[in-house]
Amino acid sequence: MKRLIVLLLALVFAAGLGGTALADTLASVKAKGVMVFGVRDSIHGFGYIDEKTRELIGYDVDFCKAIAKKLGVKAEFKPLTGATRIPQLISGNVDLVAATMTKTEERAKQIDFSYTYFLTGQKFITRKGTVKTLADLQGKKIGTAKGTTSEQNAKKALPTATIQAFDEHAPAFLALQQGKVFAITTDESILANILSKAPDKDKYEIPDIRISDEPYGLGMRKGDANLVKFVNATLLEMEKKGEAKKIFDKWFGPKGQAFQMDRGTFKIVADK
Amino acid sequence: MPPLFNYQFDWAIITSGQYFEWIVSGVKVTLQLSVVSIALSFILGLLIAVMRMSQIRPVLWFSHAYLEFFRNTPLLVQIFFWYFGSYKILPEAVNAWMNTLNFEFAAAVIALTVYTSAFIAEDIRSGVRSIPKEQMEAARSSGFSYLKSMYYIILPQAVRLTIPPLINQFLNLTKNSSLAMTIGVAELTYQARQIESYTFKGFEAFTAATLVYLGLSLIITWLVTLYSKHVLNPIGVR
Repeated sequence: MKRLIVLLLALVFAAGLGGTALADTLASVKAKGVMVFGVRDSIHGFGYIDEKTRELIGYDVDFCKAIAKKLGVKAEFKPLTGATRIPQLISGNVDLVAATMTKTEERAKQIDFSYTYFLTGQKFITRKGTVKTLADLQGKKIGTAKGTTSEQNAKKALPTATIQAFDEHAPAFLALQQGKVFAITTDESILANILSKAPDKDKYEIPDIRISDEPYGLGMRKGDANLVKFVNATLLEMEKKGEAKKIFDKWFGPKGQAFQMDRGTFKIVADK
Repeated sequence: MPPLFNYQFDWAIITSGQYFEWIVSGVKVTLQLSVVSIALSFILGLLIAVMRMSQIRPVLWFSHAYLEFFRNTPLLVQIFFWYFGSYKILPEAVNAWMNTLNFEFAAAVIALTVYTSAFIAEDIRSGVRSIPKEQMEAARSSGFSYLKSMYYIILPQAVRLTIPPLINQFLNLTKNSSLAMTIGVAELTYQARQIESYTFKGFEAFTAATLVYLGLSLIITWLVTLYSKHVLNPIGVR
């Protein structure tokens, strides 16, 4: 037991040291010639495994590759889960996190975010032509998944609607198909994915009604100013050269590989 | 002294205000679900038990199939079946009409009723079997029909003997009603989970829910025992 405690303490100490030693990630990455990116491996469209090549692909992965290329180093990928994204970054196991991470104030206390490289928001799937404005949804029965921020946002935006929360998104959509709920709501990226798999997708639409913003940012260690500066500059340049839009279209555009989404007026801009 | 779990308990959130109201509304729905389903499942259970002991072959086969099917499939699957699966079988107009009602509640009641009635039927049947078969013979030879012998002579005795296992079934049903949250019925467990996702105070929310379930179970046990003591068996005949 004592030995175990000593070992654990040593690990904690080493992790702490590691964190401080890597303060200037940009310099150390250049020296090593390799940059380690933390990405998701099961989020369709963003970070997932190609069925044929067994390689990690997606919107997030392409942004990482672009950053590595700009830096002139090799890109190495490590799969992360939603819960391990921030701990893995802080402990120095990855240099940058590109993992469908919404920028929140709570998270910004622990890590630094890049400019928003993807903007999604909470929207609705409805039957075609039934909903034009948010007011059309008041007083109706709206399905969503339990324990998500979607449920809370919907309650706030639609105080007179009945929010019916299911265990998962799939039964919520089934309820919509059977007319048991009037609409379902969650992040647009999830909705678009659900809709792309539905056999009767022609009957539904995602009206242009957004009740919350979910800006995704690339995560870097707190105080890693050089890297943050470099990444932000790269993002802006990618937007300017049309590279960012190209990546979006590759995955989510009209002929996108993953599923179809509308980029709307979104652009990568400074200080956002 | 450091806190035990490094967790700040905050009981105030569930004893007053909005979250308290959620718990109360959850308790109401759980009560409605349980009371309606207990009543219906008891009646249906009696009916199936009588059919199960019938001499008419098709009736016997039907009740046998009913019992085996509903006893041996998971309740969760049955809830999904009544809620989502029924859509494929029923005509469009019926579906449209049901969607205007509180259909998830109805589907949950149907599932709980049908599922529990299968167990109740078997309990009642074993109660009936413990009544000497001469009583049935005597009733029939006195001119009672099969159903009348059951109704007036056999079942009143059998149900008294079945009270303890029936209490078990009623308690199970009350606790099983929490599965209704999977189709969005806002009962007690649903509300507890909702409070957890809003406040991250899962300990408090589920402690409250646990206490309510415990209280409900004790009340049901007490009521059925009282009923059996004072109404079914007032003079204490064994």
